[in-house]
Amino acid sequence: MNQDKVTINRSVSEIPDRKMAIIAESLYLLNLLIIPGLAFFILIWLFAKYDNATTMISGCHLRQAFSASIWAGLLLVLVTWVMLSTMNHDSPYTWMIVIPYFVICHSVLVLLGIMGLAKALAGKKFHYPIIGPSS
Amino acid sequence: MLYSSQRIAKPYFIAAITLFTIQVLFGLSMGMQYVEISIPLISFDTARLIHISLLIIWILFGFMGAIHYIIPEESERELYYPKQAIQLFWIFLSLVIVTFFAYLLLPYATLAKITGNQFFPTMGREYLEQPTIIKLGIFAILCAFTYNMTMTVLHGRKTVINLLLLTGIAGSTIVFIFAFYNSSNLVIAKYYKWWLIHFWLEGTWELIMEAILAYIIFKITGDREIVEKWLYVMVAVTLTTSILGIGHHYYWIGMPEYWQWIGTIFSIFEMLPFFFMVLFVFNVVNCTKCRSSNRALKLWALSTPIMAFLGAGVLGFLHTLAPVNYYSHGTQITSAHGHLAFYSTYVMIVLTMISYAMPLLRNTVTDKIGQRFEILAFWIMTISMFCMALFTVIAGIMQVYIQRTTDINLPFIEIQNSMNILYWLREISGIIFMFGVIIYIISFFVAEIKKT
Repeated sequence: MNQDKVTINRSVSEIPDRKMAIIAESLYLLNLLIIPGLAFFILIWLFAKYDNATTMISGCHLRQAFSASIWAGLLLVLVTWVMLSTMNHDSPYTWMIVIPYFVICHSVLVLLGIMGLAKALAGKKFHYPIIGPSS
Repeated sequence: MLYSSQRIAKPYFIAAITLFTIQVLFGLSMGMQYVEISIPLISFDTARLIHISLLIIWILFGFMGAIHYIIPEESERELYYPKQAIQLFWIFLSLVIVTFFAYLLLPYATLAKITGNQFFPTMGREYLEQPTIIKLGIFAILCAFTYNMTMTVLHGRKTVINLLLLTGIAGSTIVFIFAFYNSSNLVIAKYYKWWLIHFWLEGTWELIMEAILAYIIFKITGDREIVEKWLYVMVAVTLTTSILGIGHHYYWIGMPEYWQWIGTIFSIFEMLPFFFMVLFVFNVVNCTKCRSSNRALKLWALSTPIMAFLGAGVLGFLHTLAPVNYYSHGTQITSAHGHLAFYSTYVMIVLTMISYAMPLLRNTVTDKIGQRFEILAFWIMTISMFCMALFTVIAGIMQVYIQRTTDINLPFIEIQNSMNILYWLREISGIIFMFGVIIYIISFFVAEIKKT
């Protein structure tokens, strides 16, 4: 039992480039939670610099986090902006749609990011449903 | 199951599920009254009183059951006073039944008078409506329970999980002392009321929740080391954020303005424990091999942190920011947060524990039919509660808009009438939730008991 545990822990920490996967997923979350924009620019820089030079695990997380960040921006900023610019601001119904949409959408994106980070910590691949590239 | 005294958990769990069902029924009766269908003999204020009180009490029963189950196993010994544990159960249940019928049959003012509230006034505050004598009884039960658990742990093995449970129950007992302080100054009274309510819900109970979740994840994966490492992180984050997070209860009640800053900043950080809970559960599950064949248990255990992140974390964060709370305070948004946060944190963790322990206590571990019913009940309850919270949030946004951001001076009741459709949708979600509860109860009866 203990031997198994040690083997699993050691094998997780020995996965090459696991750090890059963790950084990519953390930047995705930071972009959504604390430093929107700035974290995304760092992610773009990482993607441009390391996309071809990374191993399977980190490359997968980098591509997934980059793509998911773009989709998150579109879903949270663009769609909300379209809704607000086409709907009447003086109607409560506008806010009854926009606020729940934004909150649910943002929460789901954050939850997906946490799951991505958990996979990165475990040294495993992760695919964002719908918003992540298939390959 | 390794120790015979773990069996004491069973009556606690049965009582918890029974009281949970009654609580939901009273919630439904209130929802009916929102859409103007009167319920004979039960007034709205009585139903609300019972709905809220039962919520606290049944979760307490659930926690006590869980702790009675976990402590002997973690301490590697029988309970210090097994007889006392079962006696406490019957005393506690008797107090609950007496209080329940007193609420139902007597006007609150009469109850206050006959229980001598005029000599030692502690009644009349939300969540702390119990007569003083009942509060004394609850305090005595908590003290005896803490003593029994402390002695068990002191004489047995000490682990992070059982020490954390001990911290949780001892903390809950200590802060219950504030239930007995009721200043004639309303601001001071409210100030200390939150020392109990906030530190239970966002402090000591959260610690108990984390310990139970860690125990379950340990049982599913078998990796104590990684579970304990994460547990340290979660506890540290919980304690550093929740203590000053109490500030969000001090807005607009007469407290100094700096509480708005403290409350806002620490309420933002109060999301972190739930963030780490999701990360913890999924990280441990990804890193280790699953040992449990109980699919229902895995579903409850993996969903609890996700739902807690949404209900307690996101919804809590949203309206505990002082500038938002200025508008949303005391509206349906508070109710939505209350419902989803309670369900996603405490209801789900108690049901997770029941899902783990009951098959072992009833010898139905290998049963598949009961698990299928339980999984169905999980989805019905979780989705309907999510819908209930969503409709209530939407009603709350409408309420804030009409009542607090425009110059339209409509009477309160007219604003409520304009949200009738949302109250109907909420009530329908509540009825579906009740179906979920019924299917959950059925899952115990269809489960095949393995003969030994």
